[in-house]
Amino acid sequence: MTAAEIAGGASQAARRPAASKKRRRSVLVSYLFLLPYLLLLLMFGVLPVFYAFGLSFFDTIGGVFWWFTNYQSALADFRLSASVINVLTYVVIWVAVTVIGVVALSLMLDSIGRRSATALRTVFFLPGAITSSAIVVLWLFMLDPLVSPFQPIYHLLGWTSRQNVVGGLGFAGIFALMGYFAGSGGWIVVFGGSLASVPSELNEAAKIDGANRWQMAMLIKLPMIWRSVGLMAILSFAGGLQIFVEPQLMQLGGIQFSRTDWSVNQLAFLYAFSQGDFGISAALSTMLLTASIAIALVIIFATKFYKID
Amino acid sequence: MAVAAARAVQTPFSIGRFVVFAVLAFAVIFYGAPLLWLFAAGTRSQDSLYTAGPYAVGNWSSFIQTWTNLTTYNNFQMVRWALNSVIYTVGGVGLALITVVPAGYVLALYDFRGRKLVLIITLIAMITPSSATVLPIFLELNVLGLTNTYAGLILASAFFPFGVYLSYIFFSSSMPASIMDAGQIDGCNRFQQFLYIGLPLAGPLLALVAFFAFLANWSNYFLAFVLLSDDKLFNLPVGMTAMISGSGALSNTPSPIPIKIPECILACIFVVLPVLVIFLISQRFVRAGLLSGAEKG
Repeated sequence: MTAAEIAGGASQAARRPAASKKRRRSVLVSYLFLLPYLLLLLMFGVLPVFYAFGLSFFDTIGGVFWWFTNYQSALADFRLSASVINVLTYVVIWVAVTVIGVVALSLMLDSIGRRSATALRTVFFLPGAITSSAIVVLWLFMLDPLVSPFQPIYHLLGWTSRQNVVGGLGFAGIFALMGYFAGSGGWIVVFGGSLASVPSELNEAAKIDGANRWQMAMLIKLPMIWRSVGLMAILSFAGGLQIFVEPQLMQLGGIQFSRTDWSVNQLAFLYAFSQGDFGISAALSTMLLTASIAIALVIIFATKFYKID
Repeated sequence: MAVAAARAVQTPFSIGRFVVFAVLAFAVIFYGAPLLWLFAAGTRSQDSLYTAGPYAVGNWSSFIQTWTNLTTYNNFQMVRWALNSVIYTVGGVGLALITVVPAGYVLALYDFRGRKLVLIITLIAMITPSSATVLPIFLELNVLGLTNTYAGLILASAFFPFGVYLSYIFFSSSMPASIMDAGQIDGCNRFQQFLYIGLPLAGPLLALVAFFAFLANWSNYFLAFVLLSDDKLFNLPVGMTAMISGSGALSNTPSPIPIKIPECILACIFVVLPVLVIFLISQRFVRAGLLSGAEKG
């Protein structure tokens, strides 16, 4: 029985309730299987979004409905435009570095021996194990010329303290570096898989036609992974907009690195936790969520990257 | 003649080759050095870190000293946080497996009203970065009185749409309709079909979902940081940063407690090591999962 037949059966059963008791029971079983997940989906996927949306129209301190006042207050906060610029700068640097770095390394790995390529992919992939909080702690050391293994580079640039390095790279640059360090290896593995599936006849034909290494990479292999590169860029962009942990934890390095209102998400956090103003916090969260959901809808319906039927 | 021709073809290649190897060598240092440094630094004393050069290795006695300082800190608080992390992770991963696999199964194999809607919402939730919903989830759990509880964090982290998508892809591509038909003819009902046909085939899927759920839970910082304010309930990442922040070790602030840089590094290793070990063990699974998660469709 195919899915379509079951679908047909299910809708028939809906039209003539008495027709098939058994079928109705099996539909019920489907819902039972789905139920535990649906509860979590409602509680942590759907409800929080609507709750924040609703809350964003209320004066949560006085408890009265006041339309767009929270949005107006949020937009009037001078820190918001600064944080939007911070986040966009970071996202642009991160996405650019990720696209260039991942594509270049993937193509290069594809051109060397298979076994060494696999070993190198593992090396590139392992930093993915270091996430959020640990990555900031680790990179606070990596950015300190006194202890860092990258010491020679810093000395070459004349940077002698962590402050020099942070000043030289900029906060956006540093967060992009952290994100690239931890996140790029997974994509290199993914692209390794898709490049390996390029038919070998295609490579042979190109070689016979006199294509060199560079031309093969640019004209044959790159077009094969273009779509996935696009997906990587969009997903990185969407993730980057929400940055919170990295700027929040920079203060571990000392007060001179503390940036508690660097990103939009941090600002939303500050409103909720320092000022107890959940309304403005909800308004900021709603704006961030709108951006993310819009991106998700584009990915699902415009690019059809994911299978939905 | 033939040799000359071969050389003429090879010359531009070797420049390209040199560039490729130079870039790859640099990449190996960029990705590899921080990890090597981290594990070596965990064995070194504070002095050695500053005087002995970045690649020096420490010794056993300074490692034991660091270990003792860290584990006994604040009446074995680190051990408690590690235990909390285990509780949150086991709870989150277990609950995720229980909810996600049956959901993916019916979404893949049966049709029913609302199926497509559930699928689309799941995809939206999967693509939306989890940090986007942290504050809304806090606002909601705050009303329900579930902040600062084990249950709140476990439930919130058990919601795992990516796992549903993985299960959905797995069952729709590897459960031939003929097997299900055979099961039906043999008189299996849907529960039996799932238990006796679906689940036994789903070993790789369970491993994959457990891996990604583990990764998301073990290193969960943002959600735990926002939901938990009682330091008895902290997980390892939140506890680690609270400890480092309180000790001032990374900002070179003098402090009476014995948490210095080596202790911070060791704490960082505590957070990272389990993930790293599981990464290495389950590389093949993970690769397959990354491929199906990012590419299918």
